[in-house]
Amino acid sequence: MSIGLPRMFSLHASLLGLFLFGAPAAGATDAPSGPTLVRTYCSGCHLEHGGSFERISSIRKSPEGWVMTLFRMHQVHGLALPEDAHDGIVRYLADTQGLAPSESAAGRFALERRPNARDLDLGPDLAAMCGRCHSLARVALQRRDADDWLKHMHFHVGQFPSLEYQASARDRPWWTIATTELPAKLGSLFPLNSAAWTAWSQGAHRELMGSWVVVGHEPGGRDLYGTAEINTDGHGGYTARYRLSDTRGGTVGGESHAIVYTGYEWRGRGELGGRASREVFAVSEDGSRISGRWFDPDHEERGGDWTAVRADAAPQVLAVLPRSMKAGSSGPITIVATGLPAGPELSLGAGTTVRITSVEAASVHAAVEVATDAAAGARAVTIGRASAAGQFAIYQHIDKVDVTPGFAIARVGGGKTAAVTAQFEATASTHDAAGKLVELGPFTADWSTKPFDAEAARTHDETFGGAIEPGGRYMPAGAGLNPVRDYSGNNTANLKVLARVHDGDVAVEGDSHLIVTVQRWVTTPIY
Amino acid sequence: MRMTTRGLLAVALVAVTTAFAIAPPARAGDLLLTAAKPDRLYVIDTATRSVRSEFRIPNAGAHITTIVPSPDGKVAYVLVNRMESISGINLKTGREVFRADLSVPGERVKDFCAFTITPDGKELIVYELPTKLLPNEYRVEEPRFAVFRTNAGLKAKSIRAYSAPRRLHLMLMRPSGKSFYAIGVDLYEYDVASGKLLNTRGIQKWDLVAHSQPDLLAFWPVTEPTGVFTSPVISDATAGGITAMKTGLMSLDVVSGALDFADFEDTSALIFSTVLAPDRKFAYGVYSTLTKIDIEHHSLAQRVPLDHTFYSVNIATDGHEIYMGGAMCDVAFYDPQTLQKRANLKLPGCGDQSLASLRVIPAR
Ligand code: HEC
Ligand code: HEC
Repeated sequence: MSIGLPRMFSLHASLLGLFLFGAPAAGATDAPSGPTLVRTYCSGCHLEHGGSFERISSIRKSPEGWVMTLFRMHQVHGLALPEDAHDGIVRYLADTQGLAPSESAAGRFALERRPNARDLDLGPDLAAMCGRCHSLARVALQRRDADDWLKHMHFHVGQFPSLEYQASARDRPWWTIATTELPAKLGSLFPLNSAAWTAWSQGAHRELMGSWVVVGHEPGGRDLYGTAEINTDGHGGYTARYRLSDTRGGTVGGESHAIVYTGYEWRGRGELGGRASREVFAVSEDGSRISGRWFDPDHEERGGDWTAVRADAAPQVLAVLPRSMKAGSSGPITIVATGLPAGPELSLGAGTTVRITSVEAASVHAAVEVATDAAAGARAVTIGRASAAGQFAIYQHIDKVDVTPGFAIARVGGGKTAAVTAQFEATASTHDAAGKLVELGPFTADWSTKPFDAEAARTHDETFGGAIEPGGRYMPAGAGLNPVRDYSGNNTANLKVLARVHDGDVAVEGDSHLIVTVQRWVTTPIY
Repeated sequence: MRMTTRGLLAVALVAVTTAFAIAPPARAGDLLLTAAKPDRLYVIDTATRSVRSEFRIPNAGAHITTIVPSPDGKVAYVLVNRMESISGINLKTGREVFRADLSVPGERVKDFCAFTITPDGKELIVYELPTKLLPNEYRVEEPRFAVFRTNAGLKAKSIRAYSAPRRLHLMLMRPSGKSFYAIGVDLYEYDVASGKLLNTRGIQKWDLVAHSQPDLLAFWPVTEPTGVFTSPVISDATAGGITAMKTGLMSLDVVSGALDFADFEDTSALIFSTVLAPDRKFAYGVYSTLTKIDIEHHSLAQRVPLDHTFYSVNIATDGHEIYMGGAMCDVAFYDPQTLQKRANLKLPGCGDQSLASLRVIPAR
């Protein structure tokens, strides 16, 4: 029973997270060094012993993790930190006490603020002990030894005394577990010292200046491709200029200003297609690829996947758009690739006839005809010296439609808090000759909702919750009490989301589960 | 056995105004105590269903929870200041006559709703959860019971302390004054003078045949008018291969020490708190419904929906009326027979009562 304990712990205001994307201070050359900043602002409470600072030097975390800690030092412990000192400390600590790329890999979805992401599976004990208030990614994005994990457990209960009384805590000896077996377990799962970090922190990392080929996909929306020019900003950061095309037509320009923390954590602020954007990208260990997610700062749930590869990289196919074609159909196709020769040859495999219509720096456009009797299945794509498997398929008919995410949460909006929308995407698949399901990529669909169960039907959730737009985005209704509902309820809803994909005369349906719930007052950089 | 209340909690955050439909009966009534944010203590005359006094509690920190009246009904001890202070308010004058600020520099102390008073009114026993605030570290210390003299004035310091288990949320004095009950993971009984643990009886360790570990969370130390404390308990019960979530009633007679547990329904509504009627035939529970529980037959007698949620419930000393408070600023008066609303009193200023206790001081 989770008796609704009124929330007695206070949480962050929502503004924090965006600090990271700030521009570096101009004239960074005469800015005080990292150790000097920590000595100045932290050593009053965190005593220094031979260059290491109590507590601070015992922890490694992501840039967002350091921002959250500094926010608490300010909000709870009264530390006054000017903005440039703040940025300098985050940068210094993320660089010298960060996570190696392999250490942050599992939790990246949280840094990227992916909506409706599945949390890490660290076993049922940690899920119940830690995973009910925040993601386990928040835990997995830190490194400490057992003694400091123990101190952090003391912080949790000291700061949030209601913790032990809440559901999933009061059914077990929470404090005993948290102070005996857990610190050791966390210390071995996520220890302060690691070979990966030693190697990463001592290695040299490639500069990112130069030309890059970019592909981006916005779920339910558009596919983008084009180029990025990356330059230094003269202060240890980067600027990027984007020239992209939208497969639905038109061009998308953009630019961004980024700081790269820990040698690979790209945090950019800019705009894309006239809309403000934030970038949470990771540079691959060899410095050849930048990937991650961009999003709208006011609607973090809106954004897309991003991949950039150096334009002079070895020939490779980055995207085939669209990802599938139906037998007997004809139409245009775009191949995004690096290392394109002057007059490239394009092949889409058996049953296709291809005529190249134009060639750009990193993309080839062609008119394709698919034979009526072309066999269903995946096709290898070859362009110039690059080839790729699993990026293109032919189908005779759509056999299955999946809606992603399979479970989503949307939140009503109102007052100062914008609604949190939920973006769905329909993807189709077909069986190949061997009976194997082959993915065909995203499809447009007719979207609708219906009550998830009898109770949702009784309370008219479909009417009150909001509405789904033609592109598969669910817009929740306004917050506040609706006097027409039972107990003057909020416009919460429990819905099934249906996508009908048309394949000639037949329609294939897929569904997902959507909960529309109340506003969340707090958004933290790592959920 | 987890029940989600998100939907329920999402609803109803604003009071629904109800006109005084029925004229109050003219009889000498009990006094009702409740409190609301940021710092108000209300004395309500149940005969006229009106606020007799509205007192301001100094330095309440915009947070008021447990109310424990002195046995003579003259002073109300109120847990305020984010559970870090107990303020004693004289109910005639409104003056603060007692104050214990539990935290000291370097040590933050919270009382998670649990404290009680000896029958002679001379000592308060307070559950303390201390945390040492070191320069760059918090250190959670072992909980303790701290004893304060009620005549210690406004700078009261504890005169003795003894160790206590973690996770308590309620304390109830026994009328003998020799021992008190503490409710948390289990039901403990302690000796007042020595602080010795006299016995432990199950809550989580209840050995209920074919039941899962029960869940109980109660912040409302109500034993009036019967001397019996009751609280809803949830567990999963398995019968004939089928497992169902059950709501039961835990009842503890602080006079005799009798402890009882009985399921009365397949859980179909959440109940925050209950009170036993003076005839001991029915108990009443509230949250988003008002529930009448048949004690003899262990069954659900009646249930009506409420305008919004209420956290705390109490009953007239003679049983003629049910009182509801907690959450928002309504105090509602209901008919125990029909479960119909007789009247609704909106507290002046309309502060949120939240987890404040709703206590009855019998007419004298
Ligand atoms: C006014 C005192 C004070 C100052 C100044 C201060 N801290 Fe802290 N810090 C604390 C206290 C108290 C704790 C333990 C409680 C907690 O974790 O919030 C703490 C804990 C920490 C921790 C451990 C938190 C964890 O994740 O468990 C880190 C890291 C830290 N501080 C970093 C810093 C940095 C960096 C600075 C300087 C920019 C700083 N602190 C300045 C008081 C201070
Ligand atoms: C009752 C809810 C709750 C539970 C349970 C909980 N946490 Fe947290 N945790 C929080 C909150 C709130 C914060 C943010 C604290 C702040 O910075 O103000 C937090 C922050 C953290 C952080 C980031 C701290 C920093 O400064 O970087 C870590 C790591 C963490 N928790 C680990 C854990 C682990 C491990 C467990 C399980 C043993 C756990 N938490 C259980 C509420 C909870």
